[in-house]
Amino acid sequence: MAIKLFSKDPQGNLSERFNVEYVPSFPTIAIVCMLLLYAPMAPLIFYSFNDSTLLSVWHGFSWQWYVAAWNNSQVQEVTLRSLTVAFQAALFSTILATMAALGTTRVKKYKGQSVIYAVINQPLMVPEVVTAVALLILFAAIKTATGYQGSAYLVLAHTAFCIPFAYLPIRARLEGMNLSLESAAEDLYASPWRVFRRVTFPLLLPGIMAGAMLAFVISLDDVVITEFVKTPGKDTLPTYMLGQLRRELTPEINAISSALFAVSVILVGLMFLISNKKQR
Amino acid sequence: MRQFKNSTIACSVAASMLLASQGVSAAGELNIYNWGDYTSPELITKFEQAYDVKVTITDYDSNDTALAKVKAGGHGFDIAVPSANYMPIWINDGLLLKTRPDQMSNFKNVMDEWTNPDWDPGRHYTAPWLWGSVGMVVNTDVYSGDINTSAIFLEPPEELVGKINVAPEMGDIMGMTLYYVGSEPCTSDKAALRRARDLLVAAKPKWSSMGYSIKEQFAAGDMAASVYWNGDAMRTRMETPSVAYGYPKEGFVLWMDSVVVLKDAKNVENAKLFQNFVMDPENAAMLSNFAMYANAIDGSAPFMLDILATAPEVQIPAEHIGNGRFIEMCSPEINELYTAIWTELMK
Repeated sequence: MAIKLFSKDPQGNLSERFNVEYVPSFPTIAIVCMLLLYAPMAPLIFYSFNDSTLLSVWHGFSWQWYVAAWNNSQVQEVTLRSLTVAFQAALFSTILATMAALGTTRVKKYKGQSVIYAVINQPLMVPEVVTAVALLILFAAIKTATGYQGSAYLVLAHTAFCIPFAYLPIRARLEGMNLSLESAAEDLYASPWRVFRRVTFPLLLPGIMAGAMLAFVISLDDVVITEFVKTPGKDTLPTYMLGQLRRELTPEINAISSALFAVSVILVGLMFLISNKKQR
Repeated sequence: MRQFKNSTIACSVAASMLLASQGVSAAGELNIYNWGDYTSPELITKFEQAYDVKVTITDYDSNDTALAKVKAGGHGFDIAVPSANYMPIWINDGLLLKTRPDQMSNFKNVMDEWTNPDWDPGRHYTAPWLWGSVGMVVNTDVYSGDINTSAIFLEPPEELVGKINVAPEMGDIMGMTLYYVGSEPCTSDKAALRRARDLLVAAKPKWSSMGYSIKEQFAAGDMAASVYWNGDAMRTRMETPSVAYGYPKEGFVLWMDSVVVLKDAKNVENAKLFQNFVMDPENAAMLSNFAMYANAIDGSAPFMLDILATAPEVQIPAEHIGNGRFIEMCSPEINELYTAIWTELMK
């Protein structure tokens, strides 16, 4: 979007009226923010092409660490697990968050609504390690009782802490949506389900996609809760990387991180293109 | 002759029964809970093929995490590999199975000095995994004096000032400082603790950092000395040949990780087989070759990589070996004093 200082009036003459879309120094602030966010990743990506076992002394260009990471069966396994868990957690938490968002915006105001907000957003307030220890104790009891040791624990835990991240963008979208379209559909005798299916849902979709993506990334990223909750053989990429830290780090870690970064950039870029196209 | 024949038959019958029973009990699973990047994949494949067992490895990143998860119960692991200083907690809290590694067939291979450690007298619970030390990593191009002393970081020579790193490990650093002032770790002698505190506080302005990862900074010349682990010292020397590893004569710290079987293990027989398995010389060498640390098994040297078998960082020279000690966890009262000194140092 181009930022214009002056806008043309209907006659095509330059008017000197103040453009309300323009915020002074906004571009500067945006550039500074982008730099702060992305500059630390530049050396990480740079040294992933290092032809040496050293993390931060440049020897020359090489793909060797990407090849090493690609051929490392353990890296393949944990990456696949991370993606699977993140996908499931994003799916479940988005469904739950959508229902919660509908239940807190598309109803008459009721007593205790603010308490419900607080409960839904609890994972944002409570320190992660508290949730981790609580889940450790709860799951230990379940594991002892049932003997089940699969990856459902990871999916459950990740779904739980992903809910608020999916919930916030969905609720924001719902609150910004005008009720009149839904009321019109109801006036025309559409059933509540039909109203949701044909009116609310299509309008809400960008919010749902944003929520799902956020949940996916948050799940992919988690270390603390995963470390406490994981069952035998269920390491994810972050806990695997944590395990590497105690011993020697090689640029293989840079290569894995850079690849992950590239994947998320591509993912976000695609989502942006798709949602942009739809709006036109 | 007849008698001989009988006894051979008896022997072979017994042997085949033993083999059969082992074969039956071993088929199945084994869940190992170990430090990340620490278990030789080659060793696991060999174990899986030898006993027809599916091995699953899960990583942990600290003794505390491992202890917390195992204590909570329902963890599903059979084997863990805790460090020596945590071992008394694991044993006293009843988390371990008394598998008597000392009575296993491969125990005869364990080096004499590792058969009776203080933290598991007689080795009734633990089979040795790998061990190492904390000492002085020094670039001898920068400082050519005696490096077998904790003075390197406590009363640094002029050449090293501003180029020293100290690993931020409270127990190890406090222990080495207390040895240096002529006392013992976990001492209740207030005067000795005060001397240690004064030394550390006075030395700190001469250090450049308290952090992990030293190889890069030695290679770049930003660091010339560090209190650090022997394995990293060796890897640092491979990049920067002038780096040497000193064993403080005042006393340096040893560590050892050992294989234990958990009390609520589901696959106890396989876990015991694994304990015995890692005490075999060839298998112990595989552990060393992968993790680049020393093992405690006699006769493993011929199977080890040359760089390991000859590295002065891994094989402690005889004149220094008596100065290495294990550090136990201090009592809560002493730990409080430690923490007070440490907090002051980290300010």
